[in-house]
Amino acid sequence: METEIMVEQPEAAAGHKGHRDMHPRLRELLFGLKRFISSPLSVIGLTIIVIFGLMALFAPIIEPPKTPNNPYMIPHTGWEMQPSPPSMTHPLGTLPQQYDILYGIVWGTRSAFVIGVAVVLANLIVGVFLGVLAGYFGGAFDEIIMRITDIFFAIPFLIMAMALVVVIGRGLGAIILVLVVLNWPQYTRIIRSEILIIRDREFVQAARASGASHLRIMFKHILPNTIYSVLILASLSVGATILNAAALSFLGLGSDLGYADWGQMVASARNWIVGPTGQPLAFWYLVFIPGFAIALFVLGWNLLGDAARDVFDPKQRRK
Amino acid sequence: MKPLVKTENLHTNFYTFEGAVKALNGVSIVVNQGETYALVGESGCGKSVTVRSMMRIVQSPGKIEDGRILIFFNEKDREQGIDILSRSEAFMESMRGNQISMIFQEASAALNPVLNISAQVGESFFAHRSSEMLALTETAIRAELPNTRFPLARAWKKFQIAMYERERADLEAYHVATTGFDDRLYAIEDSLDSETVREGSGIRRRRERLHKTSLLVRFVKRLPILSHYYRRVGRTVHNEVVELLTKLGIPNPQNIAERYPHELSGGMQQRIVIAMALACNPLMLIADEPTSNLDVTIQAQIVELIRTLKETVISSVLYITHDLGLVAEICDRVTVMYAGDTCETAAVTEIFDTPLHPYTKGLLSAVPKVEQQGELATIPGSVPNLVSPPQGCRFHPRCPHAMDICKVEKPQQIEYSQGHTVSCHLYTGRNSRT
Amino acid sequence: MNLLSYIIRRLLLMILVLFGVTFIVFGVMLLLPPGMRVAAFVKSEKITPDQMNAMIKQYGMDQPAPVQYVHWLENMLQGNFGYSSTASAPVLDAFKQYLPVTLELVLYTMPLMIIVGIVLGTIGAVRKDEPADHFTRVFAIVGYSLPTFWLGLLLLMLLYGLLGIFPPGLLSNKLTNVINSPGYHQYTGILTLDAILNWRWPIFLDALYHLFLPVVNLVIIQSATIVRLTRSSMLESLGQDYIRTATAKGVDRKTIIRRHARRNALLPVVTISGVLFATLMGGAVITETIFNRPGIGLWTARAAVLLDVPAVMFNALFLGVVFVVINLVVDLIYAYVDPRVRLT
Repeated sequence: METEIMVEQPEAAAGHKGHRDMHPRLRELLFGLKRFISSPLSVIGLTIIVIFGLMALFAPIIEPPKTPNNPYMIPHTGWEMQPSPPSMTHPLGTLPQQYDILYGIVWGTRSAFVIGVAVVLANLIVGVFLGVLAGYFGGAFDEIIMRITDIFFAIPFLIMAMALVVVIGRGLGAIILVLVVLNWPQYTRIIRSEILIIRDREFVQAARASGASHLRIMFKHILPNTIYSVLILASLSVGATILNAAALSFLGLGSDLGYADWGQMVASARNWIVGPTGQPLAFWYLVFIPGFAIALFVLGWNLLGDAARDVFDPKQRRK
Repeated sequence: MKPLVKTENLHTNFYTFEGAVKALNGVSIVVNQGETYALVGESGCGKSVTVRSMMRIVQSPGKIEDGRILIFFNEKDREQGIDILSRSEAFMESMRGNQISMIFQEASAALNPVLNISAQVGESFFAHRSSEMLALTETAIRAELPNTRFPLARAWKKFQIAMYERERADLEAYHVATTGFDDRLYAIEDSLDSETVREGSGIRRRRERLHKTSLLVRFVKRLPILSHYYRRVGRTVHNEVVELLTKLGIPNPQNIAERYPHELSGGMQQRIVIAMALACNPLMLIADEPTSNLDVTIQAQIVELIRTLKETVISSVLYITHDLGLVAEICDRVTVMYAGDTCETAAVTEIFDTPLHPYTKGLLSAVPKVEQQGELATIPGSVPNLVSPPQGCRFHPRCPHAMDICKVEKPQQIEYSQGHTVSCHLYTGRNSRT
Repeated sequence: MNLLSYIIRRLLLMILVLFGVTFIVFGVMLLLPPGMRVAAFVKSEKITPDQMNAMIKQYGMDQPAPVQYVHWLENMLQGNFGYSSTASAPVLDAFKQYLPVTLELVLYTMPLMIIVGIVLGTIGAVRKDEPADHFTRVFAIVGYSLPTFWLGLLLLMLLYGLLGIFPPGLLSNKLTNVINSPGYHQYTGILTLDAILNWRWPIFLDALYHLFLPVVNLVIIQSATIVRLTRSSMLESLGQDYIRTATAKGVDRKTIIRRHARRNALLPVVTISGVLFATLMGGAVITETIFNRPGIGLWTARAAVLLDVPAVMFNALFLGVVFVVINLVVDLIYAYVDPRVRLT
């Protein structure tokens, strides 16, 4: 029987040219990004967000503010209540009291971004912090935090939001605060359940046995494995947050008339839904345009979030 | 030896993100009637893909690209067998679990957690022996009829009988329509005329759209109260299931039948899976590494069970394994595979005595023996990437006898001696037949 | 025995949660100084500080917060939920009046949204990557992204404003007079149901006519969630090994989908349906606002804005109870369907 050891390395093992040499996590990322780009829906989502982003960034150039120290006040050309249809001076028409809709849309993009990102970021930080406390340390921490999340889950969202806003005072800041306060529990729950799965795995035990500090274990071992679900949740939440904020604005709890916020703009349309007899759609632009902006923006985020989930969901990766 | 299932030059590819994985590179194997056959090789060499291709349950993104798969189930069949790659899905559905059954590695994953054992084993009965079950139930009810006086009960029983007969007629018609060996279909397969080929696919497509039972039967089964007529058949099937479990030597079958999969041990689950596979008395049982996940003692029991069954119920068994010891013990013939190629096929004794292919030799020498001293022999190198496999013979990068021709040309399958074939350039000159 | 103790434990937990909820809501409401809260009861334009103080004393709003909370609890346990200023009636009576309206809306929305969601989701999963799948995915994601109020307003504008069909409100004026007349018995307060019980088909049809838009509005948006969930759940189910076994057994494709894939896939859908039901019971505030349907949503919205503390408290309590009970029911269903789940 032959027992010679052959040193010849099979050249066939090369496979994909350079990819084998990359750090495995980087390769996963590249793989994910490639899949991301190959899906038409995610490309559309990305395009939408990028367009809105550019609009937000270049707002001062596209629509220079009339009141430089408060650019969010939409300029108005008169005090007439009845909204004006699109014209040369107002390409998208005006709101009641002649506030320019185009200006509102452009600067409203900034408001939308601020709301979405701020709320989700804050939720993420608070939720993950509490979730890690509960999941990793367990015991009393876990019990108390879980009871609190149970209670928060049971609180009816809209009622609480409305009550809070009324109490604190209306305005966009109030809405942001309310959304932050009421939405963090879902993050806590998700990361806690992920941590519970990971916590008792061998590699964590091994790390602990070798004397690693809690902080080190958390950042190096636990978080990288559990953070995916939460990030997916976050990307899917931006859309929902903006919808909630718009709903609250619509109910009159947001900023005043004339502020560049899409939800507020739709709110101002409440009395002008149906036009005079014979011209029922006279004020279509009032309802349609700002609402369309909201829908499109949320759609973009949802497409992104969906694509992110398809790509990064540990359960669905790799076919 | 009469063949039972035969593959000819089978090519199966998987179209993944990283490219087309050429999993099977012209696999030709023959399983004869009444034999225990083994398919051996490293992980990833294509053993599972081969059998899945044989049953046409290759999971996407896999696709069978070339070759023929012939079955020889009936005496009535043509001499050359029927190529199932051109058959309809309905035909395949009637074949799977019926004439060819397959059991998999992970028994616990193979069972649906929300259904109990009786339901799952019974499903095999319903899928293929429905007519028989209906007939049994009908006989039982007919026997009760003389003793039933109450008019409503009599009417109900007559209704049941009528529905059963109707369903049996439907099933018969469906069976004939989808599996009938149409002479026209044979003519089509042999011809290269595009016109007739289109006609063939038309026939196939018509068959795909048929339902197993008529609209009447399906409708009544959905009605709220009347649908209960079918319950009795369920009971018949349940009894058959219990009988089957008893035959398989499973203790306490009545109890087990009502349990759920997660309540059973690994060995018991595998036995249930075997029961499901045998419910319809298949001609061939394919066992895809059925014991790899079990304790050694349970392994022995399962293997013994299959051996007993082969003597009574099944005709042939195809084992997929990388356990050479198992092969030596119970198998008649074996094929060694490597990276999608068949290297060597022979009777078990002959392959252990005179292995021809360098890979086979390497495999056999890698098995530790009692009297061996020194380091364990290994085959250097690693399994190739099947997206861009080596040219020519796929084993040549690791072969100690590689010649120039091996890097260029794929070796043909040659018959070295009676019943012993090998695919290696070392033996290309030595044909026992031309 | 096991089941009973489980239910009891869950109910005790529910009480704890309800305490928490009401406590928090109460705390929020009390962040406002008494002067503002008492304004809810003030009828005339100007009142003197003395009158205001008198009212504060009368309603006990000068006491420390915990005391007021306990006060409220005591009253609640006696069945006295206070007086709702926005409804100008005792809270309980107002609730009895507004609840059926919301209930009716939910009654028609839930089954439709579940059926549409499951059917479309299954189609999407089974015909993955085919045109049918793309259609359902687009439908789902667009529906998910639409603001409720926008869709509602658009529907109103186009169908009612332009075409004059499907008006907002509950009933036409003429028929509203009919149901308030002595000959008509309002058994449940649910318009369609009462119409049938009174055997007045024109009223039934008219109520449906008015229900159409709000139900369509809600169904489009809510079913989107179910479509997505069903689709991903089915896909996961179809990838399981037992599907492969069933195929190898020769079971036909349709039966596999129906019996094996779907049954396992529907479990998460049950959970989500529960959550959605609880949310809908919250009154679908926006829908009720736009379509002018006086249900508990509309009432609560006004109560929150106008600081009608008793109304807000009661609704928070009610919704909390609904939420917890729904969770319990969902868990029980789960345990019934999936034998692996043991109620711990």
